[in-house]
Amino acid sequence: MTTRGDTRPTRLEATESLKSLIKTYYDDLFRAAAEGRPSVWLNVGVPCEFFYAMDVFPFYPENYGAACGAMKLTPKLSAIAEAHGFSADLCSYIRTTLGTVFSGEGPYGQLPRPTVQVSAMNSCVAIMVWWRAVERHWGIPTFVLDTPLVREDSTGINLDYVESEVLRMLSWVEEGTGRTMDMERLREVVRLSNEGKDLWAEVLDLRRARPCPITAADIFTHMFPMVALRGTPHYVSHLRALRDEVKARVDEGFAAVPDERYRLLWDNLPPWFDLRIFGDLAQRGVNFVIDTYTQAWGPRYMGTIDADNPVRSFAGYMGAGFLNVQIGKRLELLTELVRDYEVDGVVFHSDRSCKPFSLVQVELRNQLLERAGVPGVLLEGDHNDPNLFDRERAMGRLDSFLEVIDSGRA
Amino acid sequence: MSGGSNSASGSPATGSPASGVRALARFRAVAADPLAELAAAKERTGLMAVGYFDSYLPEELIMAHGVLPYRVAVTGREDLRSGEFIQGFACPASRDLLDQALRGDLVLLDGALFTRYCDSLRGVFAVWDSEKLTPYVDFVRYPTVTNTVSAVKYLAAELREVSARMAKALDAPADERRLLEAAAACNRKRALVAELAARRASRDLALSGADYLAVLVAATTMTPDEFTSELSALLAWPPPGEPGDALPVVLSGTTFDNVSLAASIEAAGLYLIADDLATGSRWYGVNVETATLAAGEGSGMYADPWEALAHAYLTRPPCSVKEPSSPRADHLISQVRRSRAAGVLFYLTKFCDSEQAEWPYLRDRLAAEGIPAFMVEGEQKGAGSGGLQTRLEAFREQIEMSGDEL
Repeated sequence: MTTRGDTRPTRLEATESLKSLIKTYYDDLFRAAAEGRPSVWLNVGVPCEFFYAMDVFPFYPENYGAACGAMKLTPKLSAIAEAHGFSADLCSYIRTTLGTVFSGEGPYGQLPRPTVQVSAMNSCVAIMVWWRAVERHWGIPTFVLDTPLVREDSTGINLDYVESEVLRMLSWVEEGTGRTMDMERLREVVRLSNEGKDLWAEVLDLRRARPCPITAADIFTHMFPMVALRGTPHYVSHLRALRDEVKARVDEGFAAVPDERYRLLWDNLPPWFDLRIFGDLAQRGVNFVIDTYTQAWGPRYMGTIDADNPVRSFAGYMGAGFLNVQIGKRLELLTELVRDYEVDGVVFHSDRSCKPFSLVQVELRNQLLERAGVPGVLLEGDHNDPNLFDRERAMGRLDSFLEVIDSGRA
Repeated sequence: MSGGSNSASGSPATGSPASGVRALARFRAVAADPLAELAAAKERTGLMAVGYFDSYLPEELIMAHGVLPYRVAVTGREDLRSGEFIQGFACPASRDLLDQALRGDLVLLDGALFTRYCDSLRGVFAVWDSEKLTPYVDFVRYPTVTNTVSAVKYLAAELREVSARMAKALDAPADERRLLEAAAACNRKRALVAELAARRASRDLALSGADYLAVLVAATTMTPDEFTSELSALLAWPPPGEPGDALPVVLSGTTFDNVSLAASIEAAGLYLIADDLATGSRWYGVNVETATLAAGEGSGMYADPWEALAHAYLTRPPCSVKEPSSPRADHLISQVRRSRAAGVLFYLTKFCDSEQAEWPYLRDRLAAEGIPAFMVEGEQKGAGSGGLQTRLEAFREQIEMSGDEL
């Protein structure tokens, strides 16, 4: 496989403004703590909209973990967690965050202790035990919001149950923080959230263009506001700027990867510590024009939250969240994406730290090939721990995979 | 050591001293080849069989349909054919279940019922369902939260829905009378296992830990009535034996079906006198309130029999995959206290996230009580390695030298 000169993709201008957005967010987190305002730790399956409406600052340790991963801090922080008895086989987000909690080490120093914690069961069991470890170490009151795993949709008794769980959680948070839910404010937050989500959907849709205007590294970098800022004015303005920039690129026929020869799909979280891999692959004419992870906040999963009935509507989203459904819905999504984005092949990142995402990938690869005729390859790695990612081997496998695609074309 | 007396659960003492020996031999045989037992039961009864994997799943649900329940035990066999379908970082116990199905060992099953006990088992379900590894396969949307009224009501409603689907798929409608009988029969057998555990803990009955685990495997393999009959005989006429000078410890973990591995652990000079296992002491305390079942819908403290069933299973001592989990530590400590064990041996199955994350907390809780704890990690394979033996011997010597007497 030949490398094609200096063809590293041009970064988005929106990425620069994202940096100040993240800085402001962390400043706000520390300011809230200093001023004694309540805060909450959430997993990504719990909508931040509720908490913005209650004026309880939402913080996502998964986001923090990814940031530490990108800064290559996981091995150091993980070693601290392991010294406390936590297995090196545990999710690298867990090890990373617990390393900070136990030691105060990390990019921002010690994180402020939250007033309360909420985790939902709509991603993995590991989330619950992660929050539990923080609860025990810091003595933080913790709520587990039950969202039983479903096959495809949360309806009937399941939706009723999840809705009752959301209501139970809101009462619990009100009691624990002294704040009350302002339903009128929630409706406004939801309106902003929907507006931003629609802009996000446009960005995802613009990636269908040939050539694709952005790279996987671009879109993964912009996950932060989708997770932590939904429903805020900053979120909408940032996504509008992102959408405008991506749209301008499409209008100009801009190619994020010059000589785009392979349009691939990335399944699962990326290796945060090595987003450069996408740039290196661009030099082989590869662009990951779409991925599954960012779909979790896209129209196919999140839909439009009903501002007039937000609790029920969010319950439906949480109950059938991206990782709370079975293989059938994942296959359906993949089939649609490879069709809509004219994908040549799928790279299944077999992520040691994300069992729910990963442990169906062999089956998905086989069924997708049968159903859509699109080949796939499993790439062993991890979203945060570079010690679990053999880059040289991965690049070798990807080169072989590109040859498979070439031979299919021939 | 008692002999020929009535058991605490009121089972009559029948037979002779030889019947206890025969019962133990039967349990050992069942644990060694549970599928042979299933084959015999199917042939004898002419009934269908549905397998399950998670001890939170009420076997009474299956029995209510006139179908044999069969908990698929982990075999510990070396077999990597599941590697063609699922990655190696799925926990080996889950992969073992998939291996059995892929080998064709489970052809006697007419169906399988899954829950999301853990993230690995959920992955196994995806493969099982996609590959149609049993003619009927279904998924119970099981709650994680166990201590709310809404969780009980939700699980009851979910069990009703699963029951309706099972009735249709297997052409085997549920029958409330059978549900009542199933709950009563399962209560009886669980109470007898509890009695066995209590008598072992009090040194009234010197069954080895390996044999005790064989009884646990048999408990969810044999038909309840037959199991109850055999265990009654064993309790009435326990085979002679003494624990000797082995160090008594509590075995803690999730599922532990590998009798050979248990024997290997005991060969290192440990005596597994009690347990904190999902299929042991965290299971046998389940007692479905059958008075409500008998009285019919709307009576007693539950709206209907399904609620009684749901409540009984949700309120058992929790596994680390459930919330809240803190009662688990209290339960474990109580097992140590009542058995006067010298320590706790944790057997963590590799890649078991919830147990790995729970270990530091349980270790510290035990330390605060002055109870030594030791952790080994493994794949539930074979009979254990020489390295394991050496580590266990070191654990035993460490406790003996420290002179801890609990």
